[in-house]
Amino acid sequence: MNSFAGKILHVDLGSGKTAILSVPEEVYQAVLSGKGLEAWYLYNHIPAGADPLGPDNILAFACGALCGTGAFLTGRWTVACKSPLTGGWGDANCGGLFAPAVKQCGFDAIFFSGIAEKPVYLFCDGKTVELRDASKYWGMDAVETEKVLHEDLDPLCRKKPCIACIGPAGEKLSLIAGISNEGGRMAARSGVGAVMGSKRLKAVVLAGALPMRCADPDKVKTISKELGRKLLKMTLPSGLGVFIGFGGRMMGHLPYMPMDGSLTAYMFREWGTPANTPLAITSGDGPLKNWAGTPQDVRRMDVAYNPEHINKIETAKYHCYSCPLGCGGKLNIRGRKYVEFDETHKPEYETIEAFGPLLMNWSLDSIFQLNELLNRAGMDSISAGNTVAWAIECFENGILTKEQTDGLELKWGNTEAILKLVEKMIDREGFGDAVADGVKRASELFGGREYAMHIGGQEPGMHDARNDPQLGVHFVAEPAPGKHTVGMGIEYGAMSLSDICSWAPPAKLHPKKDDLEDTETLAWITKANACYTMLTDGAGGCYYGQMMGVHMWKLVEYLNAAEGWDYDGDHYMEIGERIQTLRQLFNIKQGIDPASVKLPKRMLGEPPLPSGPLKGVTLDKNRAQVSSHWRAFGWDGKTGVPLDETIERLGINRLTEVDAV
Amino acid sequence: MRRIPVFDYLNCVSCSICAQACPVSALGMKKEGKSGKYRNVFPELVNDRCIGCSSCLRACPMDVIIMKEVDGD
Repeated sequence: MNSFAGKILHVDLGSGKTAILSVPEEVYQAVLSGKGLEAWYLYNHIPAGADPLGPDNILAFACGALCGTGAFLTGRWTVACKSPLTGGWGDANCGGLFAPAVKQCGFDAIFFSGIAEKPVYLFCDGKTVELRDASKYWGMDAVETEKVLHEDLDPLCRKKPCIACIGPAGEKLSLIAGISNEGGRMAARSGVGAVMGSKRLKAVVLAGALPMRCADPDKVKTISKELGRKLLKMTLPSGLGVFIGFGGRMMGHLPYMPMDGSLTAYMFREWGTPANTPLAITSGDGPLKNWAGTPQDVRRMDVAYNPEHINKIETAKYHCYSCPLGCGGKLNIRGRKYVEFDETHKPEYETIEAFGPLLMNWSLDSIFQLNELLNRAGMDSISAGNTVAWAIECFENGILTKEQTDGLELKWGNTEAILKLVEKMIDREGFGDAVADGVKRASELFGGREYAMHIGGQEPGMHDARNDPQLGVHFVAEPAPGKHTVGMGIEYGAMSLSDICSWAPPAKLHPKKDDLEDTETLAWITKANACYTMLTDGAGGCYYGQMMGVHMWKLVEYLNAAEGWDYDGDHYMEIGERIQTLRQLFNIKQGIDPASVKLPKRMLGEPPLPSGPLKGVTLDKNRAQVSSHWRAFGWDGKTGVPLDETIERLGINRLTEVDAV
Repeated sequence: MRRIPVFDYLNCVSCSICAQACPVSALGMKKEGKSGKYRNVFPELVNDRCIGCSSCLRACPMDVIIMKEVDGD
């Protein structure tokens, strides 16, 4: 007995029909569950040329292979579809409690096709599968939707439901909308919320209580207990946050940076991801002033965004399902300037950086308000921040006028104007409506394309490729371009993949500039990054588990114990390779030309920055590195199309011939 | 007599696996306390919904749950 539920649910929202289908064992062997299962199903079932907001697109919700086995850091759920932002593969993932809820309903994944005539939500409790009228909830924000659904349904359910839903951004088809659970925690990227909105699917409500299986639960527990006991002892003294910015300054001036995976655990237990913000501001990792600024432009901002300020108002930490780390937190924000809410989630560093240093905004309080606004609306803070940054730079340079911005003075650091613009984007009102579909569409409407930071249509996460050439490869070569979660130099150093994979180059120290690593070596590093991340996604794992390194978060041992298998790391990395190749094939099928996806000039160092840790850096080798990365995968080095022999080697032909029944 | 879970909070890592394993949502991550120096939330038997099935005990990776007999149905 392995950990897979063995079944998927397909809901046709057009006809209202549902089908419970069995997945052949060979599919799980080949791609696990989670993003792998989604890649297999969507590649097979979304027709070429499908309209991302039309009935042919399929929206998938999946939990990972390890979810429910007792393995730690395996509570991520992944949404996937054809992205309306990029026209190719789209996915986003999130923590909370939704992942086990999928499996407790008896499924590894739930797929939605078609478009409902009126707003609906899916209710499933492991016995009943029903589409129900959601008119009452349409128009509510994500937090309110969950609250009212709980009020309506909890008394009727034996087990408290878990709910994923969209807010107004998804309903209004903003192409940067995400899908929320647990009070506004979001699977944010790729425009997945717009696809859900286009299907008039307001929510997915899961209240199943079926047992979740595992081949060797005692072995899994032994691995988990070792990690849990270690983490309980990992505590930093309070007050060290003020030194993080200084640490970043040191990193910015050193050619190499040593990193150990355990540092991730210490930092995230102490501060959560906001620990990254001051480090990013001073080291060159985080973008400043729409990716054109230097630390001199935001002097002392690392102090303004010291995570100790956030710790002071944290009322309690919280953990995702199966997480012993607990990087989340609830903040008491009542009565703070700009704030109209009592409470918000601890903002992720992505949100802080996208609305702080990226916009030259010094107000941490305003970030709390923006965080809650965006969480409730179900709008991606990375894409929204990049879009506002573009608007400000256009305004500062006369491309946008006050008449066009509805009177908003979009100046760097104008907190009030930033808040107002975000509200207008959420409401799709006036100028906000025009820019609510992300920076690519906005720049096509108004100009200022040189200020529009997107990669293949998607806004990049808050890490600068000039600081990390590996990231520059992933930003471009990833089938969902612009995502920062596939691999970075700093992570590769921490993960120690060469200890589980025979072909992964040993991590020396973190290479900061692209002339510190030859292109061929870099290609195998970036391939290892991508394969391991896809494996993690198939397992339903958390990237912060990855970052702790393979000696703390033992993914290979977990999978063998949970599935009753006895495979080595190379076998599992090939599963990751297969998932990534399927996603690339999805893009080829949908008409994406991988060679046309490029870094924005600004991120290539054109022109180079005049000062700071990235002074003079250019990414001249990025194209060659991407080409080498493709070749390492067995894809054509010029076109990025997977070669026939690679498809054969990975058994993808056979995989595309089988179907769920 | 009936059996209910009792927790060793000192060694609990707040992973919520037990709460999600509960088939009747008798456990919630509601109990506020400290894990070392960190303010955190821990599993709590929130009401009398517990059916004594031991699902939480079996699911807990840290083995910090025991079932204790108490009076009542």
